[in-house]
Amino acid sequence: MSATKIGARISTVSFRSVEFLIQEAVTGIRRNGLMAFASISTIALSLAVLGAFVLMAMSANNFAAAQIDKFEIAVYVPLENKTALDRIRREIAQIRGVESIILRDRDQEWARLKQQRPDIEPAGLPLNPLPFTFDVRLSDRSRTTAIATHVRTIAGVEKVTAGDEVLNRLMMLARVVKVVSYVGAAALLVTSLLIISNAIRLTLYARRREIRIMQLVGATNQFIRIPLVIEGVVFGAVGALVAWLLLQLGSSYLAYVSQRIMRLATQFSSGIKPSELALSLLALGVAIGALGSLVSIRRFLHDQ
Amino acid sequence: MIQLHGVSVDYPNGVRALGDLTVTINKGEFAFVVGATGSGKSTLLKLLYREVLPTSGTVIVDGENVPALKSSLVPHLRRKLGIVFQDFKLLPQKNVWENLAFVLKVTGAKPREIRRRISEVLELVGLAHRCDSFPSQMSGGEQQRAAIARALINHPTVLVADEPTGNLDPDTSWEIVQLLEQINVRGTTTVVATHDSQIVDRMRKRVIQLEGGRLVRDEDRGAYQHCEL
Repeated sequence: MSATKIGARISTVSFRSVEFLIQEAVTGIRRNGLMAFASISTIALSLAVLGAFVLMAMSANNFAAAQIDKFEIAVYVPLENKTALDRIRREIAQIRGVESIILRDRDQEWARLKQQRPDIEPAGLPLNPLPFTFDVRLSDRSRTTAIATHVRTIAGVEKVTAGDEVLNRLMMLARVVKVVSYVGAAALLVTSLLIISNAIRLTLYARRREIRIMQLVGATNQFIRIPLVIEGVVFGAVGALVAWLLLQLGSSYLAYVSQRIMRLATQFSSGIKPSELALSLLALGVAIGALGSLVSIRRFLHDQ
Repeated sequence: MIQLHGVSVDYPNGVRALGDLTVTINKGEFAFVVGATGSGKSTLLKLLYREVLPTSGTVIVDGENVPALKSSLVPHLRRKLGIVFQDFKLLPQKNVWENLAFVLKVTGAKPREIRRRISEVLELVGLAHRCDSFPSQMSGGEQQRAAIARALINHPTVLVADEPTGNLDPDTSWEIVQLLEQINVRGTTTVVATHDSQIVDRMRKRVIQLEGGRLVRDEDRGAYQHCEL
């Protein structure tokens, strides 16, 4: 009998094999239900915690940015300088970092003031005594102090309020919030990766005997690896969807509470759409599932 | 069919499992490898399916220089061999049919071919009625029959059995060994490691006896114990 040389018939991954590999993955998940549950719940909870932190960090950053955004320089021009208004406006507009200039409606303000303080009119102020006021919005808020100083030197300007003390503190706070959220998100991401890859490694450890047997009956490493990676991807995807559901439930509850109690809902929002959140979580879950399985399997395939 | 020449195996912990072993087993032969625990029986068998690499010497199985084989080709060597273990090594999450199908599917066999070969080997080992059972639902003897069916499904040229009756009662052991002989009669070279003296004495086949990793006896139609007459 002539011995067939082995090298001549290396099987390639054919269409039939693809079907087989997927089948293997499906049976693997079905018959290892408890392990599947453990993996999926670990992935779901890790991603939910990570996602909750990122959403809150984004909200905090948006909130801080919105507060900073409200800051404007108020430039008061006394009534007697009415003729200079256009010149002053032009001069302010030329300053670098100025975004827009709006002249407040004096009559409206006066009306509002009278409404708030009904005692003003009888006190002998029948005419509107309010000065002209420009609200200057800045594109670069870090230059607030410099711009305010510049505006003060313009002829005809009486007073400039910049609130730069408060603004500087607010910006410092925003920076801190930003750094904390980046560092925290990175730390949580690393933690989630470790927890999830450990969970995957445990499920594989429980099946190391199975992997060993497959090697002994002539399965190539590729045929062992691919179904397990597919399982990892499915776990990652399902875990991500569960995490997304948890986050949607949590954030809609928070939105409901804050709207009723604090009326903060509009300002305190992450600004991310549910679909975007779902896609990011899904991508992350799938990537972690695939990579986690791939890296863990290598260890079990190598020890011969 | 199987040629070992000057084979030594040292394990990393310094234990010498086999020392300068030279054995030839011809095509179609039935050979028992006997010896006490730790005599090197298992190591000898593991050399054949490249579970263990020799420290020195050559191992040739069915024309393949086993130690020189690229590791990516090891699965293909194993498909040419039928391997039977003491602990059966059936996939616990798969029923008998799926266990057998797995071995064929990894070779890319067609579904029709898979069905045909499975019913063929299940018939041979007398387990056709158990094809839906999971390993945990079967007796030791049935599991070993399933494992033998799996070993046969690729029409191996060599069948290697490492203590196939180690976990079975005497009657079942005898049935299993008879099954192995039946397979051998069909032309498959069969190597069985065992310390079951009853079986060896009843079968009167070639006996290769190891002691401390060395060949101490190689006798045709031998018994478990060598009797000086």
